Amino acid sequence: MSGIWVVVEERDGRVSHIGCEAVAAGQKLAALTGLPVNAAVLGAQTEALAGEAATWALAKVARVEHPLLAAYTADGFTLALEQFFAVEKPDFVIFPHTYQVRDYAPALAARLGQVLIGDVTAFSADTAQPARPVFTRQLMQGRLNGAYRHSGNGACFISVQAGAFRADELQAGTAEVCSFSPTIEPAQIRTKPGERFRASAQTIDLGSAQRIVSVGRGIKDAANLPLVQELAAALGAELGASRPICDAGWLPLDRQVGSSGQTVSPKLYLAVGISGAIQHLVGMKGSQCVAAINKDPGAPIFESADYGIVGDLFEVVPALIEAVKAARQ
Amino acid sequence: MLLLNATLAEPQHFSQAEKLLLLVLIVVSAASFWSRFGAVLDKILKSRKDPGFHLFPLARRVREFVWEVLCQAKVIRQRPLAGLAHAFVFWGFCAFALVTLNHFAVGFGIGFLDSAGWFGRFYADFAALFALACAVGILGLFVRRFFIRPKWLGKKLSWESGFIALLIFLLMATYLAAFLVPDAGAAARILWWAHTLTILIFLPIIPHTKHLHLVLAPATVFLSRGGFSLIPPLSGDEDFGLIAGTDLTRLVSLQAYSCVECGRCTEHCPAANTGKLLNPKEIILGLRDYLNDLGPASEEPLLGKYNAQEAVFQCTTCGACEFQCPVGIEHLPILVCLRRGAVNTGSWADGQGTKLFLALERGSNALGMASSERDKFIEKQGLPIFDGSQEYCLWLGCMGGYDPKGREIVADFARVMNFLGASFGVLRKEKCCGDPVRRLGNDLVFQQLAEANLEVFAQSGVKKVVSICPHCVRTLQEDWKEYGTPPAVEHHSEFLARFAGKLPKQAGGETIVFHDPCYLGRYRNIYDEPREIIARNGQLLEAPRNHERSFCCGAGGGLVFLGEETGERVSRVRAAELISTGATTIGTACPFCNSMFRDALAERGEGAPQLLDIAQLTARGLPARDAS
Amino acid sequence: MKIMVAIKQVPERDAQVRIDAAARWIEESGLQWALNESDAYALEEALQLKEKHGGEVVVVTAGPERVGPTVREALAKGADRAIHIDCADLGSRDALGVARLLAAALKPENPDLVLTGLQSDDLGQGQTGVIVAELLGLPHASLILHVEKTETGLTVKKELEEGWFQTIELPAPAVLTIQSGGNKLRYATLMGIKRAKTKEVRTVTAAELGVDAAPVVVLERVALPQKQKSTQMLTGTAKEAAAALVEKLKFEARVL
Repeated sequence: MSGIWVVVEERDGRVSHIGCEAVAAGQKLAALTGLPVNAAVLGAQTEALAGEAATWALAKVARVEHPLLAAYTADGFTLALEQFFAVEKPDFVIFPHTYQVRDYAPALAARLGQVLIGDVTAFSADTAQPARPVFTRQLMQGRLNGAYRHSGNGACFISVQAGAFRADELQAGTAEVCSFSPTIEPAQIRTKPGERFRASAQTIDLGSAQRIVSVGRGIKDAANLPLVQELAAALGAELGASRPICDAGWLPLDRQVGSSGQTVSPKLYLAVGISGAIQHLVGMKGSQCVAAINKDPGAPIFESADYGIVGDLFEVVPALIEAVKAARQ
Repeated sequence: MLLLNATLAEPQHFSQAEKLLLLVLIVVSAASFWSRFGAVLDKILKSRKDPGFHLFPLARRVREFVWEVLCQAKVIRQRPLAGLAHAFVFWGFCAFALVTLNHFAVGFGIGFLDSAGWFGRFYADFAALFALACAVGILGLFVRRFFIRPKWLGKKLSWESGFIALLIFLLMATYLAAFLVPDAGAAARILWWAHTLTILIFLPIIPHTKHLHLVLAPATVFLSRGGFSLIPPLSGDEDFGLIAGTDLTRLVSLQAYSCVECGRCTEHCPAANTGKLLNPKEIILGLRDYLNDLGPASEEPLLGKYNAQEAVFQCTTCGACEFQCPVGIEHLPILVCLRRGAVNTGSWADGQGTKLFLALERGSNALGMASSERDKFIEKQGLPIFDGSQEYCLWLGCMGGYDPKGREIVADFARVMNFLGASFGVLRKEKCCGDPVRRLGNDLVFQQLAEANLEVFAQSGVKKVVSICPHCVRTLQEDWKEYGTPPAVEHHSEFLARFAGKLPKQAGGETIVFHDPCYLGRYRNIYDEPREIIARNGQLLEAPRNHERSFCCGAGGGLVFLGEETGERVSRVRAAELISTGATTIGTACPFCNSMFRDALAERGEGAPQLLDIAQLTARGLPARDAS
Repeated sequence: MKIMVAIKQVPERDAQVRIDAAARWIEESGLQWALNESDAYALEEALQLKEKHGGEVVVVTAGPERVGPTVREALAKGADRAIHIDCADLGSRDALGVARLLAAALKPENPDLVLTGLQSDDLGQGQTGVIVAELLGLPHASLILHVEKTETGLTVKKELEEGWFQTIELPAPAVLTIQSGGNKLRYATLMGIKRAKTKEVRTVTAAELGVDAAPVVVLERVALPQKQKSTQMLTGTAKEAAAALVEKLKFEARVL
C-alpha cells in the first residue's frame, strides 16, 4: 500500500486554499503514521497544478488526466480515482471537504467498499491501535464531537474541514511528478453540468448570504452608512439592517433582518450598533458565528454573540476595516 | 297636558266589507311576512347543530335577556344618545303590544280596551307617552342617519332604513293624532286605517330587511354562546372549521341574520380604523348574503366571493366588535372558525404564518428560539424550579422566557413575589401556550401544545398558575379546557392587587397612563386591579379610549408573528393616543403590548414616555436587595 | 412520476445534548424527535413535483418504532404511502450500511426519482443519498435546490460555494440530495393528519431485506466540545479589539 494520497482541488488555476490545507493535514498524518504522503490532481490539463504541488514536501504528485475530466462530474472523478486507487492501493485518502468532494467521494468510497469519514476537524494516534488513528468530526450541529475509527481493510477515506488545518504549516520540498490516464467513455458521464451563475443582481437575497454586516440605530444617521458599507465590502458581506433603519427609509425593506423581514443563517453575522431586540434576534439566530459591536455593555445582542466589542462603532469599525483588509490579502 | 284630557278615538261600526278587507289585508301581510321569515327560519334551522351548545343553565341567558334586550343596557351605554333614542323606539314597541292588539280587535268590533274605563284610559295614555318618546327617538335617528351621517353606518344611504323610519313615525303619529279627533267621524276612521295599513306594510318588510332583528335579536341574545370569544370545539373527524355553507351552524346563521348594521363593531375595530380590508360588520353581512344567495347546504367557499381571506387574517381578536354588538353577535368565534377552515386545510399559504406553525411543530416556542435559551435565563436569574412544594407556578410564556423585555418583567415580578414571601417555581419545560395558533385556527398544533403542557402540569402537580401575559392566562384557563383540566390561573395584576396593602406606596408626581390589554380587559373583565397597582406608584391617567373601549396594540390574533401590516400600524396609532395624554410613563400589563409600543416609541426618540409593566413599576419601590 | 423520499427522524433541533452512560452516543430518553430538516425540503420538492406531474410520493425511513409519528407527519403533508424499515440498531451501522438498507427497499419499487435530504441534523455526514445512487447504479446530483422534469430527464439547480449556482441535466431515474431552503415548506394540517390515518405504512425488517454487514467505520466515542458557547468580549482600544476580532474570526471561528 502506497501511503497517504491527498486529492487536491483547483481554483483559478492554482491549488485551492482548502486544497493546501488538506495537503498540510496529509503531511501531519504522515508524521503520525510514518507513511509517505502524496498528492493527486485531476483534470484535463494538470501541468501547472502538479508543478505547484511538486514544490511541497511530498513523495509523489500524480497527474490524473483525461479530457473528460475538464469539467467536474461525479461519474468522471469517481471513475478516474477508482482506477487510480486500484493501482496505487492507498492506506489513506484525504480530500478537502468541499461541495464537490461531498458530491462524489462517498460514492467512490462505497464503490471500494469503504465509508468516507467526512468533515474531520482533528485526528490523533491511539496507543492501543497506532496504525489506526482516531478522527474527530462534529455531530449535532457542532454541539458534540465524535471519535471515528476505520475498522475495515483497505483505504481509509477522510475529508478535512475548512480551516481545521492550517495551510501556512504546509512544508515545502520537492516531489516526483508522475502521470496516470484513466479510461473513461463519454457514455459513462451521465450528468451534464451547465454554466455557473449567481443569483439575480436585482434581488437582495440575504437568506442565502454567507456573510452579513447588519446595521442598527447606533449608526445614528443615514449619512454614516457608507462606513458600514465599506466594512461589508471589505468582508465580502451583504448589508443587512434592523427594523428602525428600514422604517426610517435609510435602507430598503428587503435588507431588514428580523421577524417581519428576512431570516438569515450566514456563516458570519456582524451586528453593528444593534441592541438585539427579540424581533431582530429571531431573524438572525441561525447564524453560525455572531459578532457584535455596541456601546452599551448591557445590550441583549451580546447574549447571542460569540464575540463582542463594547465600544464606539465610529472608532471600532474603521479599525476593523483595516484589520480585515490586511487579513484577507 | 292636552293629552291628559283627551282620549284615544275609537272608530265604531266597521262594515262587513271593511272587516273583510281587514281580514284579507291581515292574511296577505302575514303570509308575506311568513314567506320570507319562514325561509330565513328554515335556513337557520337547516344549518348544522352547534357542537358544545348547552341551553342550560338558563340563569345567565335570562339575565342577559333582561339586561340587554329589555333594559337595552349595551345599546344605551356604548352609544348613549343614539342608544337612548333606540331604546325609546324599542320600549315604545313593547308598550304598544296591547294597543296594537286592541287596534285590530276594534277593527273586527271586538275591542277590549274600553277607552272610557280607567285601565283603558290609563293604558292609552301610557302608550301615548311612549309614542311621543318613540316618535322623537325615530326622528332623531333619522336625522342622524340622513343628515349627520356617521361613518360607521356606511357610505351608502339606506333608503330602506328611511322608509322604515317613516313607517314607525307614521305609526306613532297616527296613534297620537287619534287623541285629537272624536270617536265618530271620518278623521278617526282615516287615522285608524292609516295606522292599520302602516302596520300591515311594516310587517312583511321586517324579514326582508335588517329589521329582522326585531324578531331575531331577543332570541340571538338569549341563545348566545356566552363567555367572550368562546371558540366552539370541532365536531368529529370531518369538521375543519367554516369552509362552506354546510359548515355554518345554527348560531352563526342566526347571528348573521340578526345584524342591524349599526356599525358599532366596525367603529371600534383596530383593523378597520387603520385602513385594513377587515370590516367586522361586512364579515357578518357577507355571511348573511351567502345564506340569502346560496343557503346552508352550499359547498361554495365562504371565503371567496362573499368575504375575503385577507380580511379575516387581519383580525387581532381584540374583541371590540363582539363586545359592542347590541344584538348578541359573537364575531370572534366566527372569525376564528373561518380561519380554521383555511388553516386546517392548508389553504392559507402565508410565509410568516407557515414559519410560525413550523416553529411550533418542531420546537417549544413561537419565536423559534432554542429552549436552552430559556434554561439559561432561568439559571441566570436564579429562578426556583417548581417541584410541587411551592404554592404558585410562575408561567413564563414565550415572551417571559425569550424576549429581553419580557424577561425583565418576569425578573421584577419574581422580586416582588419574593418580597411578599409567596412561594413559587417555574417549570423546567414549557411549550408555548398555543394562543397564536389557537387564534389563527391551527387546531393540530394547538392540540399538540395544549396536551403536552397539560401533561407537564399533571406530572408536576401544579395547582395555581400566575402569569405576566394575559394571552397565556386566557389560553390556559379557557382554551386548554378542550383537552384537559387546567389548574387555576390568574394574571399578575390580580395577584399584585390581592397583596396591594403590603406593597410599598411610592410618592412622586409621575403620571402613568394605563393601557388596558384586550385579553385582560374585555376578555377577563379585569380593569381595577392593574389601576390599583398603578395608583400606588404614581398618578393614574386614563387614555381617551380606556376600559372596555381600550384600543388594541395590534399584536393579538397571532398577528405579531405575521408580516408587515397594510395601512397604518395599529401600534403606532395607539401609542400616539397614549402619548397624547402627556403622561411621563405608559403602564402596561401585557408583554405583547409592551413589545408593540416599544417599537412605536423608539421612533419618537428622546422625549418619549417610558414604558413599564406594572410589575416593573412595583419592583421599583422595593428595597434594594430582594432578588432571590 | 413515482418519487421516493428517504427521510430520517432526528432529535429535535434544540434538544439538550447529554452524553449517555457508555459515552458512545447521546442520552435518548426525554428527547423530542422531529423530521430531519433537509428531508422536509426533499419531501416538499417531491410533493410539488407530484402536484405538477401527477404520480405518487412514497416515503422510506429506517429506524425503531418511535419513528412512527414522523412517518405520519410525512403522510399528513401529502405523501401517499410509507415504507418503514424497522431497525433498532441504526446507530451501529455506518453510512454504507444504512444506504444498503434503503437501497434494498427502494430497488423493487423502481422509482422515477429518489430524493433525500442533503444531510441529517444529528450525524451530518451528507453521504447516504450519494451512496444510495452508487448502490442503485443511478446518476445523482447533490445540494439541489430545485428540480424540473424535462422530456429527456431532469434539470436541477445545484448550490455551489460562495453564492454560485449551477444547472445540471441528468437522465431519470436518478437520485438527488436536496438542500434546505429551496422551497417554502408546507405546515402539517389537521386535515392532513386525519387523512394520513388511512394511508398505508408497510413495515419491513433489516433481516427481510437481507442486509447485514459489519460497519467499516465505527463511532467509538462522543464528547462535548471543549469550548462552550459563551460570549467572548474583546477588550482594549478600538484597534486592539478589532485586531483580536479578526484573529478570532479567521482562526477560531474560521469564517473569514
